[in-house]
Amino acid sequence: MSKRLARRVGAVAASAALLLQVSASARQAPGTGTPHADSHRALLDSYCLGCHNDRRVAQGAAPVSFEHLDPTDVSADAEVWEQMVRKLRLGMMPPVGSRRSDPVSHERFVTRLEAALDQAGLARPDPGRPPIRRLTAAEYRNAVSTLLAVDVDERWLLFPPDDVDQQGFGTNGEVLSVSPALFDRYLSAANRISRLAVGDASIGPGFAATTYDTPRLLYQDDRMSDDLPFGSRGGLAIRHHFPLDGEYEVKVRLRRMIYDYIVGMGTEQQVEVRLDGRLVKRFTVGDADRIGYPSAYSFFGTIRGDPDWEQFVSIDADAGLKVRFPATAGTHRLGVSFVGARTEATGILERRLSGFSLSGLGFYDGNAAVERVEVAGPYDATGSGDTPSRRHIFTCDPATSAVDAADQDSATDATDQCAMRILSALARRAYRRPVTETDLATLRPFYETGRDTVGFETGIQKAIERLLVAPEFLFRVERDPVDVAAGAAYGLSDLELASRLSLFLWSDIPDEPLLAAAEAGRLSQPAERERQARRMLAHPKARALVDNFATQWLQLGRIRGVVPDVDVFYEFDENLRADMEQETVLFLDHAIREDRGLPELLSANHTFVNERLARHYGIAGVYGERFRRVAVDDDRGGLLGHASLLTLTAYPTRTSPVLRGKWLLDNLLGMPPPDPPDDVPALADNHGAAQPKSVRERLELHRANPACASCHRMMDPPGFALEHFDAIGRWRATDADGAPVDAAGALADGTAVDGPAALRRAVLSYETSFVRTVTEKLLTYAVGRRMVAADQPAIRKIVTDAADDYRWSSIILGVVESVPFQMRRSES
Amino acid sequence: MSVITKRAISRRMLLRGLGATVALPFLDSMVPALTAAIPTVRFGAVYVPNGMVMQNWTPGTVGTGFELTPILEPLAPFKDQMLVVSGLNCTPPPGTRGGTHSRAATRFLTDVHPGVWNPEAVSMDQIAARDLGRHTPLASLELGLEGANFAGSCDSGGFSCAFSYTISWRDSSTPLPMEHNPRAVFERLFGDNNTTDPAARAARRREQRSILDSISADVARLQAALGAGDQRKLGAYLDAVRDVERRIEVAEAQGDREVPLVERPIGVPADFADHASLMYDLQVLAHQTDRTRVTTFMSGHELSGRTYPEIGVPDAHHPLSHHRGVPDALAKLTKINRYHVGLFAAFVEKLRATPDGDGSLLDHMVLMYGAGMSDSNAHSPYNLPIVLLGGGAGTLRGGRHVSFDERDRTPLANLHVTLLDKLGAPVERIGDSTGPLPTLLGGSGADRLSEI
Repeated sequence: MSKRLARRVGAVAASAALLLQVSASARQAPGTGTPHADSHRALLDSYCLGCHNDRRVAQGAAPVSFEHLDPTDVSADAEVWEQMVRKLRLGMMPPVGSRRSDPVSHERFVTRLEAALDQAGLARPDPGRPPIRRLTAAEYRNAVSTLLAVDVDERWLLFPPDDVDQQGFGTNGEVLSVSPALFDRYLSAANRISRLAVGDASIGPGFAATTYDTPRLLYQDDRMSDDLPFGSRGGLAIRHHFPLDGEYEVKVRLRRMIYDYIVGMGTEQQVEVRLDGRLVKRFTVGDADRIGYPSAYSFFGTIRGDPDWEQFVSIDADAGLKVRFPATAGTHRLGVSFVGARTEATGILERRLSGFSLSGLGFYDGNAAVERVEVAGPYDATGSGDTPSRRHIFTCDPATSAVDAADQDSATDATDQCAMRILSALARRAYRRPVTETDLATLRPFYETGRDTVGFETGIQKAIERLLVAPEFLFRVERDPVDVAAGAAYGLSDLELASRLSLFLWSDIPDEPLLAAAEAGRLSQPAERERQARRMLAHPKARALVDNFATQWLQLGRIRGVVPDVDVFYEFDENLRADMEQETVLFLDHAIREDRGLPELLSANHTFVNERLARHYGIAGVYGERFRRVAVDDDRGGLLGHASLLTLTAYPTRTSPVLRGKWLLDNLLGMPPPDPPDDVPALADNHGAAQPKSVRERLELHRANPACASCHRMMDPPGFALEHFDAIGRWRATDADGAPVDAAGALADGTAVDGPAALRRAVLSYETSFVRTVTEKLLTYAVGRRMVAADQPAIRKIVTDAADDYRWSSIILGVVESVPFQMRRSES
Repeated sequence: MSVITKRAISRRMLLRGLGATVALPFLDSMVPALTAAIPTVRFGAVYVPNGMVMQNWTPGTVGTGFELTPILEPLAPFKDQMLVVSGLNCTPPPGTRGGTHSRAATRFLTDVHPGVWNPEAVSMDQIAARDLGRHTPLASLELGLEGANFAGSCDSGGFSCAFSYTISWRDSSTPLPMEHNPRAVFERLFGDNNTTDPAARAARRREQRSILDSISADVARLQAALGAGDQRKLGAYLDAVRDVERRIEVAEAQGDREVPLVERPIGVPADFADHASLMYDLQVLAHQTDRTRVTTFMSGHELSGRTYPEIGVPDAHHPLSHHRGVPDALAKLTKINRYHVGLFAAFVEKLRATPDGDGSLLDHMVLMYGAGMSDSNAHSPYNLPIVLLGGGAGTLRGGRHVSFDERDRTPLANLHVTLLDKLGAPVERIGDSTGPLPTLLGGSGADRLSEI
C-alpha cells in the first residue's frame, strides 16, 4: 500500500472551477472501455496543459507537450506517461506554487495511470535486447579464481580501468568495449595465469615477483590487519602467490619523508617477517642516536647532522631488511609488521601530522613505517608442489592413465585422453555450456605443441592459455533461437539464465550445481530457480552484490579519489578514508546478508564504526581498530549520515548542497536532473569579502536566475538539509566562517525539512519511489542495459510483489523472475 | 567544478594515468622506421635535482673552443656533439610564492608554474610523443630511481608531491609516474618475454600468432550465430585482435636488428650507480629496438636527500645544497653534480656505440640534460644549467657554448619550442614561450633540418 503524500494543498481544486479545454474532435475511442480516460483528460487539461502545450514547447518554456496524448491508449506515448507518473509520485509536478488537484484525486490519477501502463506492458512485453558484452574486470578475476583456483593479483593484470555508464554501472554492455590495449593485457594475463595455475617448472624468480606499496599518508600506529599478529603495529599483510616450491626473498623498505630520511629512526624498533603467521625473521632497526649527531629537523631540512648519522638514516638503517626462506607453492599470507611497543605517550600530545607535515617531516622519535615490500622468487625451485590449482586442474594423471597401456601408442593415446578429459572439464565451466567437438579441436593443437616441445603439463598449460582468451569465455553470449520471429520476446535458455544468475549474484561464472541444473533443464521451473537463487544469496560469494552492485549504485568507489584540502581538513588521512569506506561496505553487507528491508538503508539507527570513525562522529566509548555495530541518533542514521557518501559529494574545501542534492535525486529517488548548460561559471569564493557569505547565499544565483532555477530548485534544497555535515562528514553547528548552520531545506514537492533527520523521514515517505529506484538500479546492473519506459511495469510488479517489508531477497527474486531478466527481444 | 585544485591531483587522475602508460596505442599510420628518407629522430631528457654549482658548470668562454668545466668534464669525448646553453630562465609569474622545488621539476619540461597550473599544461616530451609515438609500440617511456610518490604534499606552499616526483605530464591532470623498477620497465618494453634473445622472442611471437589466428576463427564461427548488432560488437573484438597482430608483424620486421642479450631484471639494485646504469641501459635498449622514441629520466626527485658515500659525500644532498657559500659544501656538491654527469656520459657513450641506420643512435638523438634550478642555495630559477647532446638527425650542431643575455630573461620554453621543431612536432607556443631561439635555428628559422 503506497504511503500518502503529506503536503500543502495549494489552490482549491474543486471540480467546479475546472477550466476545461476540450479539443474540437472528440478523442474518445469507440467503446474501448479504457477506464477513466475522460477523467484523466480532464485532470490533464486542468492542471498540466497550461504549461505542457505545443506553444510553450515551441518557445522553449516547457520540455514536452501533453496536447496530443491519448489517455485511451497509453502505450502510444509510454515514455511521456512513465515520466509523468514518476514525477507525480514524487510530488514534483505540478510545480510548487501552481494549482494542484486535491491529494485524493492526485493519488487516484497516478494509480490508475500505472495500472493502465502495467496493462499495456502485460499485453506486449518488451524485455529489451542487452548487447553481447565482455566480462568486467571483477567478473574476470572471479571467473579465473573459480575456474583455476588461482587468485589473480591486480598488479599482474594491469587491465585499463573499466568504463562505467552514466549511472556508474560497469556491467552496461554499451560501455564495455575491448580496446587493443585491453586485448593485449588479456593475452599477457592468459599466459601468466595459465603458467601459475599449472605450476610451470620454467618459472624464474622475476616472473611472479611483486612489489607491494603502502600509501604515504597512511598512519601505521595500530594493528593493520587481521592477518597480522596481535600486539603488532603497522606494516602490511599480503597474500602472495608463490609459483613453485623453492626459496623466496623478501625485501622491506621503510618509509622515508620527503627529504629521504627514514621516519622513526630515533627509537629502536623491531620488524618481523612472517609466513602464514610463523616467524621467519625479526630485525632491529633504529636507535640512530648512537650513530652520531642527528640533523635538526628545521623546516627546510637544511641543517645536517653527522655524516655517519646521515648515511645511516638515509640508507643503512633498512639496507639489511632482507631475508631468503623456503616456501611451498601456492598462496600464502606474508606479514611484515613492527612489534608493538608497550608504551603510551604522556603529557601534552602533538597534533597528528597530516599533509605536508606528514609527508615532509614525520617524527624522528615516533613510529617507523613500512613503505614497500618486494617479494621475488622462486630461486632454486624444487618442483611444482601441491597447490589447489594443480589439484583442480589435474583431475587425472597421465602416468596412471598410461600404465595399463599395452604399447607406446596406447600409452600416448591414454595420456591424450586424460588431457582431453581435463580440457573438457575446464572448457565446460569456462564457456558455461556443454563442450563440443569443435571446442576440443580448437584447444588440441595447443596442447600438442606444448606436449611435444616440453611435456604433458606444458601441453595443458598452453591449452589453458588459449582457453582464457576464447571469445566464449570473455564474452556473455546470448543467441536468438532460430525459430523466433523478428523483434519478438523469447525466453532465455536454461544455460543463458544460469550465466545471468551467477554473474548477477556472484559476479562469477556458474558453479557446478547451477550448471548441472541448467544442463538438466531444471532451471525452467520457477521453484528450482528460486531454490538456486536463495542458495546463491546465502553463499559467501554473494558478497559481490556489495562489492560491485551496491558500491557502483552509490558511487562509493569515488571515495578513493577524493582529495580533501590538507589545510582545511588536516584531520583527513588514508586511515580515515579506508575506515569511511569500510563503514558503508559493512552496513550494506549486513543489510543484504540479514535480508533486511530496503527502506532500512535509510531508516537504520545503527552503523559500523571503529575507534577512529567513532571519534569522527562524536560517538563515545568505542576503542580499538575493530569495526563493531553501534547505535546512532536520528541525525546520523542511515546512508545519508555516512561520512563516505557525504565526503564524495563535497568539494575539497567545502560542502556542496548541489552535489548532495543531485546524488540524492539520482541514486535514491530515481530522478536525475538534466545536465547543466555549458559555461556555468564556478562559484565565487569568499576571498576578501568583508562579510563572508554562506554557501546558501552564494548559491542564491540558482534561484534568482530562472534558467537555473528550473533544475536547481529540485537539487539544492535537499542538499541544504545536509549542511550540518561538513565536507568530510563531521557534524557541525557552525559553518567554516563561524555562522550557525542553516539546514533548512525541502523536497521537490515542497515539503520543508530542517536537518538530516527530517530529510530522512521525508525521503522515506516516498518509500515506493525509493524501492522502485533501487529495483531499477538492480535490474540495470543485472541485465546490463539502461532501463526504459517499457521496463517500468516490470519494476512496479517486482516492488508490489515484495510489498509489506521489501526485503532484499524478495526484491532480488523478483528481479530474477522479471521479464527483462528472463527474456530477450530477438533481432529486428 | 573540477576536483583538481591548483595544488592537489586526485588519485583517480593518477590511476587513469597509470593505466594509460601501459596502453599500446597503435593507429593506422605506422611507418616502418628502417625505410624513412628522413632519419628517425629521437628525444631523451635527463633531470638532476637540487640545482647545480654554477661556477663549476658554466664554461668560461662562449662559442666554439670553450673549455670543459669540472662538472661537464666527463662529457669530453662528445664535445663536438655537445651544445651548452646558458642564460635560459623559468621566470616565476607574478603572484606565485613558494614551491621552489616543485616549480623546478615541473617547469623543466612544461614551462608552467604549479601555482598557476592550468588545463593547457603539458610537458614537451609528451607533445613530441604524440607525433613520434605513432610509429612505436610505446608513445614514451618515463623512468626514475624512486617510486612515484604523488600522494600528499611536498614543498612549502602545499604543492602536491606530483610536482616534485615527475617531469612528464601527459596533460594537466595526468602526471606520469617515473617507473623505478627495472623489471617493470623491461616488461613494458618486452612484454611476456624473459629475455631479449631474438630466438626466444621470435618463438613467443609465433605462439601469439597462432593464438590470434585461432581466436579469429573462433570469432567468425560465433558471429555466424548472432544478430547484426552483436556481430558488430564482436567485430570490435576482432579489430583489437588484428591490431595486436599488426604490432607483432612490425616487431617481426624489426627482428633482425642487433639487440644485446638482456635478461629480465628481477628487482631493484641496491647500489645507486648500479640502479642508474641499469635504467640508462634500458633506455638504450628502448631506442635500439625502437620500442619508443621519447624517453625521460629523473635521477632523483626534487628535494632528494640521497647521500653519496661512494664518492666521498656522506651528506644528504638537499641539506648540502643549501651551501651558504661554504667552500667545503660547494666542493662536495660539485662532486655530486659531476657524478651524475659521469653516469649520463656512460649512457651517451652507449648511444654513440650503437649503430642506427647510417650512423649511431647518438647521431639521431636530441638529448637534454639539466636541472630546473641553478644555484641551489638561492633556489634560483634563472640561468638554468642545460646541455644538449646528440646530432638530432642532422638538426643539432654541437661543439659550442651558447649564452643568452641575463637581462633578456629568455624563457626556457623557447628552447622547448626550438627542440619540438627539430623533432618534427612544432608548436606555436608552450608555457611562457615567446618564440624559438634564433641562435639555435639559424637564419631562416623555418626549416627543421637547417644547420644552426
